[in-house]
This record gives sequence, C-alpha cells and structure tokens, in this order.
Amino acid sequence: MTNILTTHNLTKTIQGVEIISNVNMSIRKGEIYGFLGPNGAGKTTIMKMVMNLMKPTDGEIEIFGQKVTPSSYDILKRMGSMIEYPIFYEKLTAKENLELHCEYMGFHHKKEIPLVLEKVKLHEAMNKVVKNFSLGMKQRLGIARAIITKPELLILDEPINGLDPVGIKEIRDLFIGLNQDYGITMLISSHILKEIEQIADTIGVIHKGKLTSENSMEKIQSQYTDYIEIATNSQKKACFVLEDKLQITNYKVVEDKYIRIFDTHTPLSVVSKTLILNNIEIESIYQKQASLEEYFFDHV
Amino acid sequence: MWQLMKLELRKAKLGWYIRGAIIANLLIACFFVVFMGFIETMEGEVPFTSIDEAFIVIGALVRATFIIFASVLIVRIIIDEYKNKTISILFTYPIQRKKIFAAKLGIIGFLTFFVTLLTNIFVAFVFLAFNAKYHFVQGDVTLDLLVNQGLSMITFAIAIAGTSFIPLYFGMKKKSVPATIISSIFIVFLISSHNPVVSIASIVYIPLTLAIIGVYIAYVSIRNIEKVDV
Repeated sequence: MTNILTTHNLTKTIQGVEIISNVNMSIRKGEIYGFLGPNGAGKTTIMKMVMNLMKPTDGEIEIFGQKVTPSSYDILKRMGSMIEYPIFYEKLTAKENLELHCEYMGFHHKKEIPLVLEKVKLHEAMNKVVKNFSLGMKQRLGIARAIITKPELLILDEPINGLDPVGIKEIRDLFIGLNQDYGITMLISSHILKEIEQIADTIGVIHKGKLTSENSMEKIQSQYTDYIEIATNSQKKACFVLEDKLQITNYKVVEDKYIRIFDTHTPLSVVSKTLILNNIEIESIYQKQASLEEYFFDHV
Repeated sequence: MWQLMKLELRKAKLGWYIRGAIIANLLIACFFVVFMGFIETMEGEVPFTSIDEAFIVIGALVRATFIIFASVLIVRIIIDEYKNKTISILFTYPIQRKKIFAAKLGIIGFLTFFVTLLTNIFVAFVFLAFNAKYHFVQGDVTLDLLVNQGLSMITFAIAIAGTSFIPLYFGMKKKSVPATIISSIFIVFLISSHNPVVSIASIVYIPLTLAIIGVYIAYVSIRNIEKVDV
C-alpha cells in the first residue's frame, strides 16, 4: 500500500525550544492512523505543520507524493481538517459557515450541505447562529466542515472531545463509514484510547516531541494478548502445579507474587480450581484484558 | 480576486459600516450648517474667510471621520480573524495567503476611498446649497472652483485610502484592537489640524506621503504572510 503522508526528520523549534524532534511517521493510503500522546506532546503542532499552518524548522513532509513547501496550496484542496478547538464565524449560521467553506475550497455541490449536516445530526440547527452552539454541536459542525468536500486525507485533532456517549458512537460509525465507503485516509488524535482502539489501523505514539512508536493495531494486539494473572504467596508451588497438572508452560513470573498465564486456552475456572485442589492459597485471580492503554503507557 | 472580496464581505457583514457612514454624512452636514449659522448669529462674523477655506475644513472633517472608520474596518476584517482564531481556518484553504490579504486590504482601501469621496461631495453640496440661500461665506461659485475642488477631493480620497493602512502596522504587531484604533486617531491629529495661519489639512502632500507609507506597510504585512506560523 502506498503512503499518503510521510514525514522525514520533521523538526520544529519555537523560541529556541525544540518541540518536535526528528519525527518520521508514515500514513498509508486508506488507513485510519491513531495519533496518541499526552497533552503538550506535539500532536497538534505536527497536525498544523501537515496543514501548512506552521512551517517546519527542519526536515520535510510529503503528502500525495509531493513535498510540502510554504506555497503548497493545491494539496489543501484534497484535505479536510479540524485542529484544536472547532472555530467558526460565530455570527453566521451553521449553513452559512459551510457555504463559505465550500466557496473557499472551490467545492460547488451546495446540495451536500444539508446532507452532511444530517450525517452529523445537526440538520435541525442548520439556520441557527453558531454563537449559541454547545461544544458538542461545534464539534459536530467542525466534523461536517472537514468531511463535506470528501477529502482524500482527513486530519482530525481530538474530534470526539465534548461529545456524549451517543455522539461518540455516531461519530465513530461515521468515520468508519467514510473510511470504508470513500476510502478516506484519516489521521485522528484522541485522548480516549478506547475509541482509537476500535477504529485505528495504525497507532503512532508521540511523547515530548518524539515519535516513540509506530505500529499496526494488529501487531499491538498480538503483542499485548490477554492473560490470567494470579497473586499468590506460594509462587514456586503454583508454577509446579501449572506445569504438572495443567501442562501450562507459557507463563511469566512477575515480581515474587504474581504469575501471568498467556495460554488462554485454559479457562480461569479450571486454573483456580486446580490450584485450590492442590492447596495453593490464592489472593486474587483475574483475566486481564490487554488494551491500547497499556501499549500507550509503555511508550510514554 | 473579486470572488475573494465578495466572500470577505459576506463574513464581515458591513451593514454597520454603511449605516455608520450615512449617520456620519448627516452629522457632518448638520454640524456644518448649524456651526456656521450659530457663529454668525452669535458673534456676527463668519467662521470662514472664503469658500476655499470652508472646503478645507469640510475635507479635513470628512477625512478624519473615515480614517477612524477605516481602522474599525481593519479590526473587523483583519484583526478579528486573528483574535477569533478564524485565520487558522482561512489559511487551510487552497488559496495563497497573499491573495486573501490582498482581498481584505482591497475592501478597506476601496470602501475608504469611495465613502470619503461621496461624503465630501455630499457635505460640500449641502454647504453650497445653504450658502446660496443664507450667504454665510462670501464668494462666487465658479465652474473653475468646482473642478478644482472636485480634483482635490479625489486626490485626498486616494491619499486617505492609502493612509488608512497605517494603523494595520500597529494593529498587526500584537493583533491588538486598541492599537489599531488609537493609531488611527493619532494619524487624524497629524493630518487634520487647521487654523487660519498654518493649515496642515490643506497640504495634500502630507496624506500623500502617508499614503505611500501606508501602502508600503500593507505590502510589508503581506510580504511575509506565507511563511508565518499560525
């Protein structure tokens, strides 16, 4: 699969402080790229550089096979974005804001406006001025603005911020639909790891301006498999029982109290029953669901 | 470019400017007639020695008003985009930043030119009409005088359109609304002073020089816009 966006040693220095250092990331065409990182890690700065709002101090960005320069305006026609807080002309209505956007983008299918507003469930507020919108409504309108032109590459910074659980699900389904139906490539940053986990194909983690990891979701899931964790004071004895009675060898001893069993074929109930029948005291036993959260914390 | 200017007008909603300009027209015209009538009755002497002098004062008053109006336009069309951060939306469009700015400055310049000129003509017309009836100021209104005054009004209007860009420099420094407006008031004092001995208001070279400075400032503010981080 070809890359739609690549950065080569991307670096940004502001007032002598290097806030982005040698970032090499690549986003493949048609994928959803989850961009994770703590506050102030540099996600928004990278997104701004991708949108040509900020200029790199060093290194370069390549989008659609073209090197981005300060005068790369053509590529912006093929991109949609929502960066930081959703910003609008507050005195204008939702519809007027989208009309303006379409004019500036050179997109003349005005019939799309009510349709896209319906997609983000804002059609009833179409003729209301944005000033009176809640954060959630602004977020929806920002998403509508970013997707109305059916761009090839979508850059979304915290798109589900301020949405309620129902809204989050609706927007998640919308993103998946756009990705699958129109092949739109997306770079999405979010703090809500569970959400990213459900939609992303690739995860990039940024910490203190450095890309600390970039892996496919598949690989992460295979690395971070589920396991059963047992806490016991008779660690050695328990290991013997596991090997002798249950033929489990794929386990790991953690500290002097815990045992993690990665052989997920043996049910938890069987493990606990066997250990108890062999007089091993168990303080706790539970099935651990490996998540993106652990991967994230391992990389920041 | 025309298309970009139309979009700017849609965003800025300039109804307030048109209404303000109409009110300013009426106020300046009223002030002039009342001022002259009042002084003549109270003091028994005319405030102006000639029709030419009356025209200088009319021109100075009109230009002072619309330089301040222009600074409000700069605030609404340029500074507010930074204050409200909508500039970061505007700069994600596939349009050169220079062109976007040129459209903005074009609106400010054209509006200031036309409104200054039209107001000047209107107030001059009201003054001449009243003067024809009440003879506040002695002197004949000849075709020559009208042509000369007309040309001077056009020159001054062009000069003012250029001068009106100067507050942009101060406003853009810190994206500040007060800096923009206060600098325009300062310019008004600089170019509009008039007394019978020294009349800066009648020297067209002053606003013309400031106009060149203003246009240069507009150029400088656009020149680096492509490379600036938003």
